[in-house]
Amino acid sequence: MSSHREAPEISKDPVADNTDVYAFVSPKHPTYVTLIANFIPLQKPDGGPNFYEFGNDVLYEIKVANSGTGKADVVYQFRFHTKIRNPKTFLYNTGRIDSLRDSQWNRPQFYSVTRVRNGRSTVLATDLRCPPVNIGPRSTPNYASLASAAVHRVGLRSVFAGQRAEGFHVDLGSVFDLGTLRPFQHLHLIPTADAMGVDATRTYNVHSIALQVPIREITRHGNTPTDVMDPGSVIGVWATASRRKSRILDPRTGQTHGHGPWQQVSRLGNPLFNEVIVPMASKDAWNVRYPKDDKQYAKYVNHPELAKLLPVLYPGVFPNLAKYTKARADLNAILLTGLPKGVVPGFQNYTGPVESDMLRLNVAVPPTTTNPNPLGLVAGDPAGYPNGRRVIDDTTTVELRAIAGLTIPLVDKTYTVDGAAKGIEDGTKNDNQPYLTSFPYLGVPNGGYQTTPGTSSAS
Amino acid sequence: MSETSRRRFIGVTGAGAAAVGATAFVPGTAWAGQAHLREDSAKSPVVAYVSDITSDEVTLLVDEREVVVRDRDLVTRLLNAARG
Repeated sequence: MSSHREAPEISKDPVADNTDVYAFVSPKHPTYVTLIANFIPLQKPDGGPNFYEFGNDVLYEIKVANSGTGKADVVYQFRFHTKIRNPKTFLYNTGRIDSLRDSQWNRPQFYSVTRVRNGRSTVLATDLRCPPVNIGPRSTPNYASLASAAVHRVGLRSVFAGQRAEGFHVDLGSVFDLGTLRPFQHLHLIPTADAMGVDATRTYNVHSIALQVPIREITRHGNTPTDVMDPGSVIGVWATASRRKSRILDPRTGQTHGHGPWQQVSRLGNPLFNEVIVPMASKDAWNVRYPKDDKQYAKYVNHPELAKLLPVLYPGVFPNLAKYTKARADLNAILLTGLPKGVVPGFQNYTGPVESDMLRLNVAVPPTTTNPNPLGLVAGDPAGYPNGRRVIDDTTTVELRAIAGLTIPLVDKTYTVDGAAKGIEDGTKNDNQPYLTSFPYLGVPNGGYQTTPGTSSAS
Repeated sequence: MSETSRRRFIGVTGAGAAAVGATAFVPGTAWAGQAHLREDSAKSPVVAYVSDITSDEVTLLVDEREVVVRDRDLVTRLLNAARG
């Protein structure tokens, strides 16, 4: 998964588990950037009666670096609280929820937005309303319009926090069964007949925090850059979740109370970084560290385990990759520093020599409004991953091919790409609810009533 | 926590130093009989944590702050109070 349940500790704390981060120039508002951070992975939509919600005891943050230090220069903080309107019922709702203020919605959630810049905190908004989860046609009819009412204007910004359809797709059951890629599994070490990929996140939901801000609010010079080659056009983006350093269970209420400073427990920049680059023994520590200190993880990027596994799992399919022993400067640039100018003609998203995992977005690259390519930059669409990340971007395929060697020639012209590296994929596409064409871009969440169990079997 | 027990707790820990933002390191207050609340004492629950029982360090978690007190005598009294 992108970063769903990617580390042992955070897999036990889904409310704080940051699953995906997106950053892209807004197609309909090209002087704005949309930043999205998802949490609470693999939500089965019918998971009541206590449906999913953000953690009141979690500090959620979206961070932007624009000065090349690997440190956050602008931070947006989101703090949540819930109310129980009717303490005498066990129900999430006692009737149809027709509006965000509906008294029959028993457990509404609210949040504040704070911006931290130059060490100064500014509360931008308080008591913004989240939408309810999508329960079903009797409880939450017209869900799309209900959720639309939860898109709030905060000055020139738009903000939304609530349930969305999972936008990330991957064949989870297959890839973690010894790296199987169903469309190519006849070539696997343990071969079976090829098959279509299965989107494991189909029908699942997540909780999204989405923010659309003027570009000038987050760039180095406080402007809206138009020169792609200007270093000031590049921002780094990642998200974090933090918990109080200590939690004490109150035996009177059965609830926990936090004490002490906030301690980061989850972070995410590039999809799949902690998931498939960092070894399991180091994943928990990675989650509590900061991008500015990621130099210690460069060795895993420069010599990724998966690049060694592919030729073993698919014998004879990746002969050139198997022989390649140099440090992967291509992956180092994509994941840790950004691509300097001269690597991809007319493009750069270099943030300087500080190795740090973050999405790097060159905001001077205009959005691709006609037929954007989900394979992004490597497929000739510079508005897509790894130039930031759009909701449509097929980052699994992009990173899989990159690790398989497709991007080595960007930095090493002597390398001949294996044929399979150009076509390798897990065979999935977004089979979940369709993406939206406007903010908050991720699809309407699946309804509980409308959900039917999938198929499974044991052998 | 009742006022009596709060006073006893603070008396035992000798805590009360406050800091804003990052972790603060402060010297402990030597035990000198009956302790009295200072004006700047903590006004909300405090968690005391001794991570290394051989050290002189007690971490106090209060509100959104962390205060590290260096006081071997305090550590010893906490260990004695906690018993084994």
